[in-house]
Amino acid sequence: MSLSQSYKPNYFSIEDILVTQERVPCKFLINVPKLGKLNPATEDLDIKPGTILELPMWLAEPISSGRQPLISIDLPRSYKETHREILKADAVAVDLHKFGINFYELGLYVKHLDPTGEVLKVLLHTFQSRFRLLMDLTENVGSDPTVQNRLDMLERMLFKSGHAARMRLDTWLRKSDLPMEAAAMVVNHKKRKRIDLEDLFKK
Amino acid sequence: MNPDEVEFIGEKQLISIIPTFNSSTIHLVSGDIGPFRASLPLNVPLWIAINLKQQRKCKIQPPDWMDVTRLEQIKDDEKSSRTFTKMPSEHYMIEAKLLLGYAADDISRADEIRTVIKDIWDIRMSKIRSSVDMLIKNGGSYAAVDNLTLMEINTMRPLLPQAMDQIHRMKKERSHLRPPTQNTTLSLLNSSHTSTSK
Repeated sequence: MSLSQSYKPNYFSIEDILVTQERVPCKFLINVPKLGKLNPATEDLDIKPGTILELPMWLAEPISSGRQPLISIDLPRSYKETHREILKADAVAVDLHKFGINFYELGLYVKHLDPTGEVLKVLLHTFQSRFRLLMDLTENVGSDPTVQNRLDMLERMLFKSGHAARMRLDTWLRKSDLPMEAAAMVVNHKKRKRIDLEDLFKK
Repeated sequence: MNPDEVEFIGEKQLISIIPTFNSSTIHLVSGDIGPFRASLPLNVPLWIAINLKQQRKCKIQPPDWMDVTRLEQIKDDEKSSRTFTKMPSEHYMIEAKLLLGYAADDISRADEIRTVIKDIWDIRMSKIRSSVDMLIKNGGSYAAVDNLTLMEINTMRPLLPQAMDQIHRMKKERSHLRPPTQNTTLSLLNSSHTSTSK
């Protein structure tokens, strides 16, 4: 998940370890002896079939597949129909951090639980529509630091690298002895109008 | 890439100067420079020109495009065109920044030139922003960057390539929605086994 080289979840990737730490709802299919400790709700020694527990992804994934799966994983709440509808309606207005700290990454892990393939579509749609927001944030240098609270971890990483690059460019533009900026008087008087590019593209 | 690195590349552009001193040819890795004869114009890389200018050993002749009427024309073209127009120099922003910064006394109407170039830069920057946004929204996977200068392309790094990488990563997953189950791996093993035994 690191932005620099490999995006494949690799064994030593801290980000990936943190993502697989997220808990997902699981339902036990068979009786598991002597693991009743995992379920704080009962004093039983065994885990009974039909018990619903939240297990971390790194544990849930291997034991849910294979020839004899122990559990079946349920789609986490943030990726269910109702939440998907919210994201489809307006992904930009959403506080993605509340949807899940690692919304995209966990989404890629749980996407196969949804046979319709809707989860992946929503992930893609969310990312594409929120890119404008991300781009605006990186360019508004010196805006308040709380803006990134609404971003998920992947977006935050993009934001950080984009913002750093933007700062470098701004320093470069300002560095020469005579800064390449419009004179303060001109800016204040709003004499020069910025052309509206949206109109230009609509032509 | 760091803007300073782009500036370093841009400083290789040749520019005409009128030296005020005499010197024989200077041999450099990138090529020979000179000989310098006082008041005879010659072409040198931008970094040498700036260096000599700072030592007050030359007068810089600004490139012909650094002229208010010419730049106004470029600005109008840029405003009315949907696509990017060709800039007079591959590194116009770097040349403008260095020349206006260090050799403003050799350029006539330097202040006006500075404002017009800043306008052109702003127009092009907002065009880049709108087209990048469209590219991502429409799910495009490539973009033509005709007539964009290196510094302008660099303004979208690393955000755009990284975002494109992530989109690619999500799209790639679409092709194999289900993880391979035990059965498929087994059948693969079997088929390879039979083929080797034949």
